[in-house]
Amino acid sequence: MAVAKKIPSILSKQISFCPGCGHGVVVRLIAECIEEMKQEKNSIINVGVGCYSLMTPSVEIDRFDSLHGRGAAISTGFKRANPDTLVISYQGDGDAYSIGIGESVSAAYRNENITVITVNNTNYGMTGGQMSATTMPGQKTTTSPLGRNCQTTGMPMKFPEMIASSFPEVAYVARGSVTKPAYVNKLKGYIKNAFEAQMNGEGYSLIEVLSPCPTNWGMSPVESHERVNGEIEAYYPLGEFKLREEK
Amino acid sequence: MKEIVFAGLGGQGILTSGLVISQIAVAKGMNATWIPQYGAAMRGGTANCTVKFGEGMVYNPAQEEPDILLAMNNPSFQKFVGIVAPGGTVIVDSALVNCDTAVRDDITVIGIPSTEMALEIGHAKGANIIMAGLIAKVSGDFTEEEGLKGMNEMFKKKGKGKFEEINSKAFKLGYNFVK
Amino acid sequence: MSDMVKGNHAFAEAAVRAGARFYAGYPITPSTEIMEYLSTRMEEVGGVFIQAENEGASMNILTGASASGVRCFTASSSVGMTLKQEAISHMADSDLPFLAFNVVRYGNGLGTLDTGQSDYHRDTRGGGSGDYRCIVLAPYSIPEAVELISVGFDLSDQYLVGTIIHTEAALGQMMEPCDMPEMKTVERRFGAIDGTYSHKRISPLTRNRLEEAVEMKERYERIKANEQRWESEYVEDADYVLVAYGLAGRSVIGAVKQLREEGHKVGYIRPITLWPYPEKAFEAVNPEVKGYISVEENATGQMVDDIALTLKKTSQASKDVFALTYAYGVPAMKKIKADFIRITKGEIKEVY
Repeated sequence: MAVAKKIPSILSKQISFCPGCGHGVVVRLIAECIEEMKQEKNSIINVGVGCYSLMTPSVEIDRFDSLHGRGAAISTGFKRANPDTLVISYQGDGDAYSIGIGESVSAAYRNENITVITVNNTNYGMTGGQMSATTMPGQKTTTSPLGRNCQTTGMPMKFPEMIASSFPEVAYVARGSVTKPAYVNKLKGYIKNAFEAQMNGEGYSLIEVLSPCPTNWGMSPVESHERVNGEIEAYYPLGEFKLREEK
Repeated sequence: MKEIVFAGLGGQGILTSGLVISQIAVAKGMNATWIPQYGAAMRGGTANCTVKFGEGMVYNPAQEEPDILLAMNNPSFQKFVGIVAPGGTVIVDSALVNCDTAVRDDITVIGIPSTEMALEIGHAKGANIIMAGLIAKVSGDFTEEEGLKGMNEMFKKKGKGKFEEINSKAFKLGYNFVK
Repeated sequence: MSDMVKGNHAFAEAAVRAGARFYAGYPITPSTEIMEYLSTRMEEVGGVFIQAENEGASMNILTGASASGVRCFTASSSVGMTLKQEAISHMADSDLPFLAFNVVRYGNGLGTLDTGQSDYHRDTRGGGSGDYRCIVLAPYSIPEAVELISVGFDLSDQYLVGTIIHTEAALGQMMEPCDMPEMKTVERRFGAIDGTYSHKRISPLTRNRLEEAVEMKERYERIKANEQRWESEYVEDADYVLVAYGLAGRSVIGAVKQLREEGHKVGYIRPITLWPYPEKAFEAVNPEVKGYISVEENATGQMVDDIALTLKKTSQASKDVFALTYAYGVPAMKKIKADFIRITKGEIKEVY
């Protein structure tokens, strides 16, 4: 029997992401988790700079528009000033891993009790698809028109693996995807785990989400999903890298 | 308004000596400033500070024309003897400053074996206190009691009250070194 | 009688007593004693102390705190303040109050460790990208700094702008007697973010930037009209008026008093607010004044520009404006006096 899923009350209007983009799913899952945990009146979402900045008029919880890359630092300020409130830093791969890598690593290093959600679509989406730290080898972007040459630009960054291995004290680290119904369900579990860890005072949590960017990849939504499930997932394995510890 | 420059090697307690004098002045109800030399001039292990005190407002707190110079080594003497005000006094540790000190005829130079005297009373690090006592006297602004009161209160507040007896002894030695 | 206290320690304690319970910063000479002091003091008063990974991050951490309505502050010096400018501009864009100490060290780039006044232009013009200003307060003594810190926090909250306590290495490092004010308790700012979503925020996508710009300009005009602060003396009959702030201002006051005793008709204006610039102070000056002399702890002369602009505004544009620039260190009174005499003899050319 089909069940009609109610749109979470904290999402007030449609967000206009491109067809096939993963951001809408991630925002929806965050909203569902907040609602299920009854934290609608006790959450702050700090939104970085990228296509996902489009979400801010629609998300009806306390929110703040971060500077590009500074999400983890600004979220630190929110958390220390509101220690019992759920604080979420929503960022993209360009925001969190390139211009904001210092802030991103340092928040994990301090084991700051916040949840960082980074949506990895292997390019700078909002500015029209430039190469980012997660662009795949050979991938064509507007700043790597011949395909990414990893010999001169380095290999794509694996941030969750880096955090989980370098800072074993953090609470929870996982990578999910939005490209299959089963993946979406699993991702929701990851996000909820992270939020629960934070509300439980366990420390820093990080969820990376693999997301298609059909517009900038020059693909149809279906092709872009297939690319995530194939090439990208092969390089960026899904799963949990740091499990919550029994407390 | 009095200006005093305290100069020597790092570790000789130069800055504390200056602070003692400034606190004695403040305890007497005067205005005072204490300003250390820092930055490039601090490298090479030398240290100096400038203390100004008096009844009115201290305008420029930085070095201008000291009435008294305390020099605890040769480089300090050589660096600052030129800026001492005409009629001023230069106090040197006679064991540590062994260069020619008769370089100006408009200033008075007082040599005092403060390091040796400190060792004699069993206060190895007390040369700076002896010097503070001597400066308090030479300035002409403080009685021995005023000096002791200001100094001892300062150290007590810093949690170093247990050295009061030996510090007082050192201060008195310096204060009474000249008539 | 109060005890000798170090400038940086007094600044830190004064901020705590003004009700600030949130500090984030990064160590930099000659401001570091402020954060060293707070590393234990904040815990004593139940506040937050964060040693951030860099200057910019510390300012961004303050952004979150200020958006949460908490009275917050940081301390740095010259080049460190440069690194904070991205966040300062962002805070201006979000109307977030803060207080920052700039314990200025002279020089470009990394600069020196010596005292100076080389950040006048940067601090009085906003400093980062955009179209904003911060209130800039320049104390000339430790007790005045302590007083201005409380004033600065209040002004920030009142006008929703940042306040810079623009001071010098020498004031941070020196000691003088200073009484501390009573401890104040400050409530969270109304309308701030606390997770309860009590006050809906406008998204940048739906903001009316034009309306905001007009409102901001009006707010800045109110600050200019109401918040100018200065000290002046002997200007009504002065042939020359010396203008200086901070420790240079202190030295100038001494020099002017001595010059008066020696028969020279000189006066002084000591700006306490560098922004807004105390234009009103110039209205009281003798209409027959021969010239204005900016005394600054830098090489190129910065505040001299604001003096010239102010004279234009107060219909004194024909007056000569000189700059006595001393890089670096606090200028000695006797040096200022000697250079003043050179100006009267025509040996130093006017800048404007």
